[in-house]
Amino acid sequence: MVVCGALVVAPFSPVYTPQELAHRVVALDYGNGTAYAGLQMLESAMPREAVTTRSFDANPSKRYAALMAGEFDATVLQEPWITVAEKAGCRLVSTTFFYGTWVADDTVDAEAYAAFVRATTEAARRINADKRAYARYYKTDDFEVTPDVQALSLDDFNLSRIQVKAPEPIPEADARWDWDWMSSWGLLNGTFDIESQINTAVQQAAHAGR
Amino acid sequence: MTMLKTMVIEPVRAFNGMDVLVARDEGLFEAEGLDVQFAKREPGDIRSTAEGTLTHPVSSQGRLQERGVARMYQA
Repeated sequence: MVVCGALVVAPFSPVYTPQELAHRVVALDYGNGTAYAGLQMLESAMPREAVTTRSFDANPSKRYAALMAGEFDATVLQEPWITVAEKAGCRLVSTTFFYGTWVADDTVDAEAYAAFVRATTEAARRINADKRAYARYYKTDDFEVTPDVQALSLDDFNLSRIQVKAPEPIPEADARWDWDWMSSWGLLNGTFDIESQINTAVQQAAHAGR
Repeated sequence: MTMLKTMVIEPVRAFNGMDVLVARDEGLFEAEGLDVQFAKREPGDIRSTAEGTLTHPVSSQGRLQERGVARMYQA
């Protein structure tokens, strides 16, 4: 699954570009993919020393409510909250996409993971064939049921923000880049070692029959 | 009748797991011989990221796998 993340400012914000978020407080759900997507959007627009963030809840409805209350200058949101925010007049100053990565323990064998991959590959094909219909999942499978999301119609969703593709093995170069990037922010220590991060034998076997 | 292999994973949401939800609801896991179940969170599993720092984040992700009640989670 490919996740869309957006840096969002409130309707009353003076900020229109990501560069204007320099030295302004951006709320991130540290430890989650959306937070790292937010960091990457910020660092692409300003020197690192100008990136100013604070921790906030992983529930995007809480980040959205606090943004609208003026508790910080911007936050990163994912669907369906990007759509909720846009409908309320918020502006997206940057958007990006990132992969969600499955982490399995060593009891998951290649055969079981291959079956999981085949099933989600077919699901991705079905979603891509009718994104509008499957957008209904944003209303039923969010952090919680909220009036803001229930008020959305399926026509409100920007389908280009729904990106689903068949799972693939993680390229070593990509895993290494991610490790090095996270290390550069002090999030990981040590050097990248593919054998300790990816069971390549299981990965290859699981994807062999795709 | 083929015996399904149970696979318990951490719950997903639409924004990061629409494919999994569709596979579950449309019988695609079953067709592959899998009984995919979502592990249930307990109060202690839910930790607010607001309590963490950038370099020492606090997240619920992976908590159920740490506890041994889920075999996979999405990071």
